Amino acid sequence: MKITVSINLGGYSFNIDEDAYSELKRYLKSLELHFAGEESSSEILSDIETRMAELFRAKLTPYKQVITMDDAQSVISVLGTPEDISDNKETSARDKFSTPGYHRIYRDSDRRIIGGVCAGMGAYWNIDPWIVRVIFIILTMMGGMGLLIYLILYIVLPEAKTTAQKIEMKGEPVNIHNIKDAVKKEFDTVRKNMKL
Amino acid sequence: MDLENTKAQMRKGILEYCILSVLSGSSCYASDIIKELKEARVIVVEGTLYPLLTRLKNAGLLSYRWEESQQGPPRKYYELTTEGKEYLADLDRSWDELVESVNLVRTR
Repeated sequence: MKITVSINLGGYSFNIDEDAYSELKRYLKSLELHFAGEESSSEILSDIETRMAELFRAKLTPYKQVITMDDAQSVISVLGTPEDISDNKETSARDKFSTPGYHRIYRDSDRRIIGGVCAGMGAYWNIDPWIVRVIFIILTMMGGMGLLIYLILYIVLPEAKTTAQKIEMKGEPVNIHNIKDAVKKEFDTVRKNMKL
Repeated sequence: MDLENTKAQMRKGILEYCILSVLSGSSCYASDIIKELKEARVIVVEGTLYPLLTRLKNAGLLSYRWEESQQGPPRKYYELTTEGKEYLADLDRSWDELVESVNLVRTR
């Protein structure tokens, strides 16, 4: 016996097993993060959800009314993970640097105080961002150089928007397992915040 | 050199051209475009298509309209704009040139 959840996907309602539901939710979240930098990302996502509903409908018969984990996984493999999709994605100048395992400095807007420059540098060197912040504050007080450097870095460093970039910032290889972990972590944080 | 990567790059380069070509005949529902591209083996995962369609639409080469469907919610039908048709004609010419060039080099 399993608990099912009722969802609305692309205008259709589905009954879906609880485990398949969380798998699907994780997948959609990973797509959302992947397309976050894109213009009209919500449109892309809603198109994909519509297609997903179509694929699920083909899996239902009068004798099989519930979407299972197998169905969810097979649909995910048809649609492709962010990793599969970016394989064919038009590579913009910034994405070219996003090769697996690349270690780059980004601005970390998740832990920012002003623009995320210090947080990003902290994540890059794996040190407490406050160490970087204190250095900047000292440099600013000693003739204002810190402020200038901060401004230049703010302009030069891109913001870590996608999950892949956030992983790169920490110098870990970008693969689907890492993305999954990062997305899961984000989920847990959101869940924790909701409870508070 | 990574063969799979080279192949993926080649596919990537012609994908937009293929999408516009599929739409050259008549307006299409996204799932019909997917079906054709899959049969022609130019896409591997379906998710690749949607960001491209949106980008082509934002670039003014495609437009879409909602059409009622007997099987469920209204569907998005994509079609080429006048600009898209000109763009495609241009790509058609350069594709022919490319094939010619590659053949020339290969038969040397």
